[in-house]
Amino acid sequence: MAPALQLIGISKSFDGFKALAGADFSVTAGEVHALLGENGAGKSSLMNVAAGLYAPDEGRILVDGKDVQLAGPRAAHGLGIGMVHQHYKLVKAFNAVENIMLAQGGARFSALARSVEEAVRRQADALNFAIDLGKPVGLLSIAEQQRVEILKVLVGGARVLILDEPTSVLTDREAESLLQTVRALAASGTAAVLVTHKLNEVRNFADRVTVMRGGRSIATVNASETNSRNLTELIVGENLQERPAPAQSIGGPVLTLKGVAAARGDGHRTLNGVSMTVHAGEIYGVAGVGGNGQTELAETLMGVTTVLDGTVEITGAGDVTHAPAMLRRALGVVSIPADRHSYGLAGSLSVAENYGVGGVVAGRFGGWLAVRRQAMREAARTAVKAYDVQGVRSLSQPASLLSGGNAQKLVIAREFESHPKVVLAHSPSRGLDVRATAAVHDSLRQARDKGAAVLLISEDLDEIMLLADRVGVMSRGRITAEFPAPADRNAVGEAMVGHD
Amino acid sequence: MTETTGAGKPAGRSWRLNLEIRQDVSRLQRFLLTLGGLLAGIAVAAIILVLSGVGLRDLYTEFVVSIFTSAQSLGAVLVQASPLLIAGLAAAVAFRVRFWNIGIEGQMIFGAIACTLIAKNDVGPEALRLPLMAIAAAFGGMAWIAVPGFLRIRLGVNEIISTLLLNYVALNFLLHLLYGSWQDPKSSFPHSEQFDAVERLPAVGIMDLTLALPIALVAALLLWWLMEKSRFGFFSRFAEANPRMSRAVGIPLTLVTLTAILVSGALAGLGGFVISSGIESRMTQSFFVGYGFSGILIAFLARNNPLLAIPVALFIAVLFVAGQSLQVFYQIPAAMVQLIQAIIVISVAASDFFIRHRVRIIRQGV
Repeated sequence: MAPALQLIGISKSFDGFKALAGADFSVTAGEVHALLGENGAGKSSLMNVAAGLYAPDEGRILVDGKDVQLAGPRAAHGLGIGMVHQHYKLVKAFNAVENIMLAQGGARFSALARSVEEAVRRQADALNFAIDLGKPVGLLSIAEQQRVEILKVLVGGARVLILDEPTSVLTDREAESLLQTVRALAASGTAAVLVTHKLNEVRNFADRVTVMRGGRSIATVNASETNSRNLTELIVGENLQERPAPAQSIGGPVLTLKGVAAARGDGHRTLNGVSMTVHAGEIYGVAGVGGNGQTELAETLMGVTTVLDGTVEITGAGDVTHAPAMLRRALGVVSIPADRHSYGLAGSLSVAENYGVGGVVAGRFGGWLAVRRQAMREAARTAVKAYDVQGVRSLSQPASLLSGGNAQKLVIAREFESHPKVVLAHSPSRGLDVRATAAVHDSLRQARDKGAAVLLISEDLDEIMLLADRVGVMSRGRITAEFPAPADRNAVGEAMVGHD
Repeated sequence: MTETTGAGKPAGRSWRLNLEIRQDVSRLQRFLLTLGGLLAGIAVAAIILVLSGVGLRDLYTEFVVSIFTSAQSLGAVLVQASPLLIAGLAAAVAFRVRFWNIGIEGQMIFGAIACTLIAKNDVGPEALRLPLMAIAAAFGGMAWIAVPGFLRIRLGVNEIISTLLLNYVALNFLLHLLYGSWQDPKSSFPHSEQFDAVERLPAVGIMDLTLALPIALVAALLLWWLMEKSRFGFFSRFAEANPRMSRAVGIPLTLVTLTAILVSGALAGLGGFVISSGIESRMTQSFFVGYGFSGILIAFLARNNPLLAIPVALFIAVLFVAGQSLQVFYQIPAAMVQLIQAIIVISVAASDFFIRHRVRIIRQGV
């Protein structure tokens, strides 16, 4: 049987940058085919070609063994190729049915409205998707919005379903249920493509896996015949295995929280008396299932939310509970936020400015009257080199053009330039590939070894186990258990899901 | 990155349009592309005017020859340009921190009222009268923007609505004064008494110009330094690009926003002073119409850059002056002048697309 979708020798350049250099890929009906690779390996670009969004410079696209030209996403749609993008393409003020209708086009409006609603309902029931179809999608959770996207593609009649890093924004449980759904779809004859960089997803849910590196397909193997080590080697082209490196000498307490309470934007109280102490030269890992107050804990420490109760103290500076972000930075508190595009970088401004802003706030690049831009550029140039931020073709290019890993390296370069005393890292490797993750982890260890108190908040238990010298489990807005290193993984896991 | 494909023929040789996001745009490219948009807009405007009966040669005469050869017309343009420039600066500094100040006109009115209050009551020694009037005008404008500014910063009230509506409050208060206690006793016209000589901006000796133009130019220079060179300017860029990130990285966001808002109001107030004391020599009612919105236009076309606002304000002033003579001599309706302005704004706005994207035609053989 001919593959449902086959891409042969696809090349694609953007403004001189070669994103794809003769990549091959194929997926057959009834299989889940994982597409694996680092950030910037070309996974998303290749799938955007398949979805008709990018026109390839060279190469052939075959659907059911026949050569096709995709004039655009609509043409791809017509051939049964549908893609769920990383950033959802939904109109937030419309409900699910309206959004799906928008993607169908054609027929008369009133007839379309009825038939689409029916089709959506049928499909949603078949997949066990419990979503409120009448609610504006902007009010739905991220996982629900993703389900709307999947429904949109399936109702459109897709036989090839492409999911671009679908689990990167989901909690573990949501991801699990999504991947089950994908397996079920494959079982009923859909050709499913799973773009990812998570190895365990590949091992547990894919039939075959194609590894990409540098815009080329490196290998296609059966998922059952491979292991993490092999895959990692294929992805990065070398063996890269992180090993734990515990703290050498732990100093006195630096950051102390006592009974801190805070609320989410909508008034819901999500921190209910967090107490903890982080010492100089240690990494304190906060583990926990997502949504138990981690975001608010991070925002509290960054100084961008109001503390309702309790105190935050920094040794030597005293009570900083209500200190504004500027004062905190002056005291040596830096943060690597989870959402680097909303808290870490100003995407439309240049790499140099995004790097330099920390120094300008601290008064390093000139006084109030003038910012010394030349000095700032020089410092940025040095930092970009030192932290191996790649993809910087010019210091004046907008920061939004950096890939996830490199954007994170730029944030870290800025935050670590001044030898911080307290480092807050919130899901610092979310969405990053193996190599970038290792670099981020290295930076955190280095900060710790220079004597900083590092607070690592992560929903990825592997990351916590790898880095933390002490582990606190967060549940319902407080620290419910603490484990000294080496912590027992099972005990931590139980504390995460157990209720007190 | 988004990309669309244009017409492609299935058989034989075909071509398509490729859109690519530019990774890095030099200042020169940016300038040339914006200039291209401007020229395209002027061309479209010229076609429309020719179609409505103005000869090409006449257009050339009105817009180029008479403006740059007759000292009188050039003088009229330069007089017109100074309040326009100040209004443009007021808009630019507010827009930089995403405060959409639609109320420039109201703030100008309050600037004019404040300086007229000083002039009417002969406050302070004569030597200090003009500086006092200028300062009072700036405070008047600040007072009028302080209300929507406070509402926005503390309560999140949308400033587009509040500043816009306060224009009408200011305008009606002005009419109340001019038809009431401030009416000119000599002529009984609804404008204030003429200012004394010491309360009028002195002439600079070239054409009919007063100090109004130098004041506007100095304001542009100072604002350029504030917005492009100073630390405040650097911070304001971040406030514009990503407020959440700015706060997290330690930028005093509220202070930066508040400063920009107050500077905007002060400049608008100063604009009211320049009109009253430098052009009309009294407080009148009719000439306020349009300055505020032209200011927004100027800030937009100049991309909030105070130095660029200078040529843009001159350009808009040329449109004003030439538009007036088109109305008088060619019976072109006033709406046509606004149409031309709009066309030029749209085409410059469209040039932004070409700054961010590169369009290439690709031929492909099959």
